[in-house]
Amino acid sequence: MLRNYFVTALRNLLKQRMYTLINIGGLAVGIACCLLIALFIADELSYDRYHERADRIYRVAASIKFGEMDGNLAVTPAPMGPAMLQDFPEVEASARFRTRGSHLIKAEGAEQNLKEEDVIFADQQIFEIFSFRFLEGDMGSALREPNTAVISRSAAERHFPGQSALGKVLILSNRYSYRVTGVFEDMPASSHIRMDFFLSMTSDEEALNPIWLSFNFYTYVLLKPGTDPRAVEAKFGQMIDTYAGPQLQQFMGVSMTDFLGSGNRLNLYLQPLTDIHLYSDLMAELAPNGSIQYVYIFSVVALFILLIACVNFMNLSTARSANRAKEVGVRKVLGAMRGQLIRQFLVETLLLTAAGFMVALALAELFLPVFNNLSGKSIRLPWHEPVFWASIGGGILLIGCLAGLYPAFFLSAFQPVQVLKGRLASGARSGRLRSALVVFQFSASIALIVCTLMVNRQLNFIRSKELGFNREQVLILQDTYLLRDRFEAFKEALAGLPQVSSVSGSSFIPVRGTNLEYESNNNAFWPEGQKVDKTVILNNWSVDHAYVRTLGMQIVLGRDFSLEFPTDSQGVILNQTAVESFGLGPDPLGKRINTFAFGADPSLPGPPPENSYTVIGVVKDFHYESMRERIAPLGLFLNRSTGCIMLRLQAQDLPGTIGEVEARWREFAAGVPFTYRFLDDEFDRMYQNEQRLGQIFLSFAVLAILVACLGLFALASFMAQQRTKEIGIRKVLGASVTDIIALLSRNFLGLVGIAMVLAFILSGVLMNRWLMEFMYRAPMGAGPFVLAGVLAVAIAMATVSFQAVRAATADPVQAIKEE
Amino acid sequence: MIRLQDLVKHYRTEEIETTALNHLSLEVREGEFLSIMGPSGCGKSTLLNIIGMIDTPSSGSYYFLSQEIAKASERVRAGLRKSTLGFIFQSFNLIDELTVYENVELPLIYTRMRAAERKQRVEAALEQMNMTHRRNHYPQQLSGGQQQRVAVARAVVHSPKLLLADEPTGNLDTANGDEVMRLLASLNEQGTTIIMVTHSLRCAEYGRRVIHLLDGKIISENHFSPNPA
Repeated sequence: MLRNYFVTALRNLLKQRMYTLINIGGLAVGIACCLLIALFIADELSYDRYHERADRIYRVAASIKFGEMDGNLAVTPAPMGPAMLQDFPEVEASARFRTRGSHLIKAEGAEQNLKEEDVIFADQQIFEIFSFRFLEGDMGSALREPNTAVISRSAAERHFPGQSALGKVLILSNRYSYRVTGVFEDMPASSHIRMDFFLSMTSDEEALNPIWLSFNFYTYVLLKPGTDPRAVEAKFGQMIDTYAGPQLQQFMGVSMTDFLGSGNRLNLYLQPLTDIHLYSDLMAELAPNGSIQYVYIFSVVALFILLIACVNFMNLSTARSANRAKEVGVRKVLGAMRGQLIRQFLVETLLLTAAGFMVALALAELFLPVFNNLSGKSIRLPWHEPVFWASIGGGILLIGCLAGLYPAFFLSAFQPVQVLKGRLASGARSGRLRSALVVFQFSASIALIVCTLMVNRQLNFIRSKELGFNREQVLILQDTYLLRDRFEAFKEALAGLPQVSSVSGSSFIPVRGTNLEYESNNNAFWPEGQKVDKTVILNNWSVDHAYVRTLGMQIVLGRDFSLEFPTDSQGVILNQTAVESFGLGPDPLGKRINTFAFGADPSLPGPPPENSYTVIGVVKDFHYESMRERIAPLGLFLNRSTGCIMLRLQAQDLPGTIGEVEARWREFAAGVPFTYRFLDDEFDRMYQNEQRLGQIFLSFAVLAILVACLGLFALASFMAQQRTKEIGIRKVLGASVTDIIALLSRNFLGLVGIAMVLAFILSGVLMNRWLMEFMYRAPMGAGPFVLAGVLAVAIAMATVSFQAVRAATADPVQAIKEE
Repeated sequence: MIRLQDLVKHYRTEEIETTALNHLSLEVREGEFLSIMGPSGCGKSTLLNIIGMIDTPSSGSYYFLSQEIAKASERVRAGLRKSTLGFIFQSFNLIDELTVYENVELPLIYTRMRAAERKQRVEAALEQMNMTHRRNHYPQQLSGGQQQRVAVARAVVHSPKLLLADEPTGNLDTANGDEVMRLLASLNEQGTTIIMVTHSLRCAEYGRRVIHLLDGKIISENHFSPNPA
């Protein structure tokens, strides 16, 4: 019996080669997309699950509202972790991390420094919480002593190629030495903390600092088995009262009750480790995380494409029913039960689906590099996993049944008396369901096109928006702090180059670096005499005299820093938002803002000393965070800050200029790698996720349209075939070719029209939500909708009319003779 | 073997109702060779389809081997079809994707016969129809007469008690037609009951009994002596 099914199926498929190809091709494209997206999602969901105790590990996060500052932080005060371990019996272990940006590192005795991005300071207890596989050294004693380091296998290979790293010494920033006490296997890519160097904090002053009002440490805790995290969270209030309360009183002169009473907030909460990658988007994250929203979006897209491919399948199979009707009739007359016929057609579908999957696997493997590039991942097809093959098998069954059940029921329902007389069941001809399926396909495709266009529109909006500074032609040299006392001399040497129009040194750059390369710093400031009610958390940036000029910012009131005014070191340039937040009124110049003096010691009695700054100018608001964020209050202060040097260049001969700059660098900073970026590239990198989203939408929209068109093409050819006689008669009666084309196209255009309406509603709602995430966004506008609509109609027309023209120009005599 | 009583069949389209069979009664005994004649639209194919259990009457009763069929389920009717009935059509209705051998084998597949026995039966049927040499051909590669011989082989391969033929010679020339009719007559002689619908008197005369239908009713009935040819 089964053999008979196979034979019939195979011969049928071979006979109808074009439709078989369209069927398998469409299905394979759909499945390949689905497969890639499924791997992407599986990867996203697997983050941090490799830690043995992952279910008991939590990160402590802070939720703070203090004046203008309002948000959630991934960082917490230094003394909090030790306090939790001491006070909370539920806590089994706690450990802290502290990032200090990238570092230049070399092995002791080596000439050349390497720039290392993945460096972090850590408590020894991280080994009690997280799972590491040590290749060398002892986990129990690693990081216990001051100036020791634990490094990854690849870091060890970089710095100590071909030798054991254990016991060797690394030099940081040409100054500090760290002895390697352990080498661990590289952390998996699916880890939100992925570091090459863990450096001991045992003797770090900041780590021992008892201040509860500064937030710089990432704190992770391991709870005892069976602990309810909410029970721990319930105790945070008491802990803050006990430790932070007295310091608040001392520094700010307010009690915790008054502080909270005036609308401020200082809460702590726990984030499960495995939720951090997908659900956490706090300030000061270790690295940009993924987003559960993208996981959802991609899941929906994958489902759409798969459904489109399945729908193709159903459409083609039912449309082809005319060819199978006689067979169904004969088999029924010979005593076949309906169940047997359903089984027969399911076998056929499963064969096709299996073929589709094989092609899909090949396609997925082929396009994996492209997809990895698109998604920024390094996914591989897990050929060796039994689970993978099991899901492939399950997928064949599921999709085979999903796509095959309807045609099977449809075909097996033919009445033998009818079909053997050559009369077709009416369903084979029109088919409301088939139309609904075409509408669905086109809705999904059009919706994807609209989304693509909208994402691109927002990206263009971001690129063309007035930023408040000029991001073109600015070169950023990194790690210039290593120049130390030669910093100023180097700046002057650069200023002497003819292609350089201005030079500025500062660690503060108006883009958010992807790896925390650029500094950000904020402190509480208040207009003189209004400490409690007008306190503003102000981003305070240390800059030099040439900063505003080099970046092309605009002074709208007052003046820029100037060498002619030595008192400018006590001056500040505020942005417009800051002027408003402080309530300085229309004439802020000459007014003063105060802050605590740096390095105040909380153990001294009495209110700490304050510093005071005079407003000398107002700079036009400029974007220094992603456009998702509102521009926050910011002040520029004249201070030495040597992290980077920015050069404004003249347009001509960039490579030559960079060569010259590098030559100067070699003179001034021998042995330090020359690292530079362009400001506009750094700006674009802030929107990498959005660009990725746009590209992924684009790729999938193209694929969806392609698959949908394959289906439409085949469907149109069947329609034309079935109406051959009608077309013949019409032509004999005098219909022109155009009349016939119009006749055949009208139906489809109607369907595409309905699809458009549905797609517009769907994509409109979806994109509106996405755009809401941006503080600054392009207006919605009709453009993308109109364009997507025109595109869809054009593509549908092109597809259908090819068949229509063929049918319309065929010889009518032939057509009428048939039957 | 067959008893039809007061059989009525209406066809309904959206606006009009046509009566194909109008209170028709008929009895057929085992071993008979019955020809049904009549002009187009008289209801002869409908009658054959109902007897063949691929159509159901609107009212009336149908006893096949003393079993009531008119209201039987599709399962029962399909079961009877594959075990006791054989069909021959004017347009042959062979499945294009299957070879001659596979087409003839098809009814046996649905009766779940074992492969070895199937092979034996199919070979015998092909032998009988003198088509063994074409066993691996596809229907399109055969002449009309050959196709119909394959169809007859398919109809008798499972030794049905009753053979139903709907214009079996309608698409064939006289020589091929006569050959098919001779095959049917010899099957009848071996004991198979045959009911045949035909336009051609020449064919009808192979049967022992001929009924004429008009507007869904039997208007006359003739009996012939066995045809010497």
